[in-house]
Amino acid sequence: MKRTVPLIITAAGGFTLIVAFFIPATESWGEVAAIWFDILAAIAFILGGGNLVRNHLKKISDQTAGWAYSVITLAAFFITLTVGLFKVGARPMEQQEYYGQRFASLSLEDFPLEFSVEGTIPPKKSGRRLPDSVHGQLVADAAAGTISFRGWMEPNQLDDLKNYKHLLEWQATVETLYDKAQPPEPLRGKAFYHAGHRALAFAGRMSEFEYHTLRELAGTPEWLAAVDALYEATNQTAEIECPADALPERFDAAAISPDLSYDEELQRLRFTGPMPLGLRDRMVRRFFPVATPLSPAAEQVLVNLLKQAGPLSEAQIEALSKAAAAGWTFDQLIAEVNRAGEPVQVPKTAREMLAEKQAGATVIEPMKTVGEKRTLNNLQQKFLREFDSSEMTVDDLVEGLRRMGPLSARQVAALRAFLAKQPTAAERNKELGFALLRAGPLTEEQRDLMFGDYRKQIRWRRYVGRLFAAAHVVKFPWSGEYRAVGTPFWWLYEYAFKPLTATMFAMLAFYVASAAFRAFRAKNLEAVLLLGTAFIILLGRTFAGVYLTSWLPESLSFLRIEELTIRIMQWFNTAGNRAIMIGIALGIASTSLKVLLAVDRSYLGTGGD
Amino acid sequence: MLEYVARLDRRWIFLMMLLAVAIPILFQLRFPETPTPLAKAVFDAVENLPPGSKVLLAFDYDPASEGELGPMATAFVLHCAKKGHKMYFIALWPVGPQMIDDQIRKVIKTDFPNLVYGEDYVNLGFKPGNEGVIKVIVTDLRQLYTTDDKGVNIDKIPMMQGIRSVQDFDLVINVSAGYPGTKEWVQYAATPYGIPVVGGCTGVQAPLLYPYIPDQLPGLLGAIKGAAEYEKLVVDRYDLADVGRYLEGLRRMGPQLVAHMLMIFLIIAGNVIYFAQRRQERYRP
Repeated sequence: MKRTVPLIITAAGGFTLIVAFFIPATESWGEVAAIWFDILAAIAFILGGGNLVRNHLKKISDQTAGWAYSVITLAAFFITLTVGLFKVGARPMEQQEYYGQRFASLSLEDFPLEFSVEGTIPPKKSGRRLPDSVHGQLVADAAAGTISFRGWMEPNQLDDLKNYKHLLEWQATVETLYDKAQPPEPLRGKAFYHAGHRALAFAGRMSEFEYHTLRELAGTPEWLAAVDALYEATNQTAEIECPADALPERFDAAAISPDLSYDEELQRLRFTGPMPLGLRDRMVRRFFPVATPLSPAAEQVLVNLLKQAGPLSEAQIEALSKAAAAGWTFDQLIAEVNRAGEPVQVPKTAREMLAEKQAGATVIEPMKTVGEKRTLNNLQQKFLREFDSSEMTVDDLVEGLRRMGPLSARQVAALRAFLAKQPTAAERNKELGFALLRAGPLTEEQRDLMFGDYRKQIRWRRYVGRLFAAAHVVKFPWSGEYRAVGTPFWWLYEYAFKPLTATMFAMLAFYVASAAFRAFRAKNLEAVLLLGTAFIILLGRTFAGVYLTSWLPESLSFLRIEELTIRIMQWFNTAGNRAIMIGIALGIASTSLKVLLAVDRSYLGTGGD
Repeated sequence: MLEYVARLDRRWIFLMMLLAVAIPILFQLRFPETPTPLAKAVFDAVENLPPGSKVLLAFDYDPASEGELGPMATAFVLHCAKKGHKMYFIALWPVGPQMIDDQIRKVIKTDFPNLVYGEDYVNLGFKPGNEGVIKVIVTDLRQLYTTDDKGVNIDKIPMMQGIRSVQDFDLVINVSAGYPGTKEWVQYAATPYGIPVVGGCTGVQAPLLYPYIPDQLPGLLGAIKGAAEYEKLVVDRYDLADVGRYLEGLRRMGPQLVAHMLMIFLIIAGNVIYFAQRRQERYRP
């Protein structure tokens, strides 16, 4: 039995692959066999690891020659395995962490709300299941002619369901169901149900009103317990120590969020609730104004300030001017805002297209145009060009532009996005400072002038990062990448594995050189042929070959070394290798048949072990 | 004297090899490179595809062979990015994903920041099983690749829409340091399904792949010379001759030339000594 089972597996697997190769109808059998092979290949890694441990432990136990190397091998093996397997030091994956949300455990069965619409789930020809993202949440009641969704549907689930079948009626039904399967209005965009994580989630801090609204949705004990837990979790306050001198100038906690506060007496920064990534980024930049283009006058002021702080060469002034000109311009910003004011093509909803179809339309366009053309008027453009971030915030700028003419929401978003991508004045000054340093030295005072604000910004960013981490509860600590930059596994790979393996390979050149000197002898005709070929190939693989025979006329170009190299590889090498390969293939075929038919059982071992 | 040279301590040879490699690096020796038809065939295979074509880049090598294969992998990614192809990276070697990450960082993130992960390029990562993986994915990719390297569901990746198997790719580019590698891609993808495959391999592998040229393998880059030739074609076509990091293959040809010359010198020297000793023995009373 011990030998029969492997023989049967081998024969079945082998013959399946042969049949699948020759008969297209059985192609999927081959796939299944190959997948099992892949699974076994993965298991082989485990067996290989076990074998390595056993052999080296035996060597250490017996204290045979070189046992100390076995200790090093085992230590390296276990360290790498541990840091890789347990993802030591790996940060959780961003998209799995739902930053800005808190979770409370709630199974799908305990989620009390179900939403139904009339309709049926269309069958899929290929027999594929419903998308995994709605697994267990979407059910059809054939008798009642309805489909129901348990939970609150998320946009990705809507997309998956719409892609399940490209049928207008089905997609329209899904859209209706999506609209229905949403939390009530005050909670939209704040309350979520992640069925895959079996969690009720809430973004930001939950207010008393939101808490009561959520509780009133159902009265089951599981639901109430989850809502209570969520309320408590979203109202926890995180705090970090933050000295007053680390705060940016004109720091105003309320301008960032009502959940942010600073205790001047205890010098502590506090935040209540989970902090979203957007808020963190806003906090970092809010008090460090965006760098606006330097006018010639402003540039001259900066040069004068630098000159007051120390000597400044002509080359440095030129470098400063060049670096300052590399930033963004108001023309770019105006063009961006005007572009956003153009009408845009957006896809129609399935319901819109279905309505058109039912109204008798023969051709249905999938896109529609929304919005009307809006460009900044002269007054707005002038106002924009006068924007000075040190005196005016982006909110003030938007407000001012609105006062002077029409401004669509898309234009406002484009303006904010454009400015958010630009460096702050502190970052711009740092770049200018580096440009000056490349052109000449700077005094301590000059350095403070150019880098002082950036130092403050970096320091503030560090405190914001700490507060963000303190306000976040890690949900999936093992979701990170084991080989992410900075993890112990990455360090081992980058600074041990990589140089060691590269060194081993590189050492070949030294040993080959030594062997060539001692062993490559023209002892007989075959050796002479081999030597001659080696010379041609060695020369032909470098520019030396081209150089040495470039004098040969075109009529004798076939004698040039690089040409000879190609001929040797294409004719002699190919012919020889093909003969060997065909021979090997025939050998493999006959040997494989012997193995599959259990004539050759040597691969099973002697049975002694 | 002859005896002394014949018994020369091998450490002197090691020193000579060290100098042969170090001097060209230190003095930045560079030599012109003329692309061979095989390198041109590889270049044409990528260049002649229309922009937006789907290219599968299988990086089957490790840090040991990075010195030989890294430059050609860089050139492949650069060429695909310049041409506007969609890049799908996979690896059949356990450390292949690190090689992919290196190239993504070196080329895409540095010079093509506008390319979006999931829309313009995707890293599908490593799968164990050697040629068994190729055998499955040539007919059904989703049987083995349900997520990308970061664990994102493959159905959520826009550029994976419409990709059911390797047959949906317009070209497979394989950079190979051994088994599994170009040979397996030719045997299990190119030959039975007619999937166009071009490759780059180490010097020792190249002779074994010549039998597949040109029908099953239209083009092949052999070792650092192949990389240098291909690099030249790419940088000339896209006017990148002044971007040093894209001329790494050309730079590494300097040490290769001097090292090859040293090898020839050592072989000749060894044979001169051998024949001189034989002559002495023959005339010895």
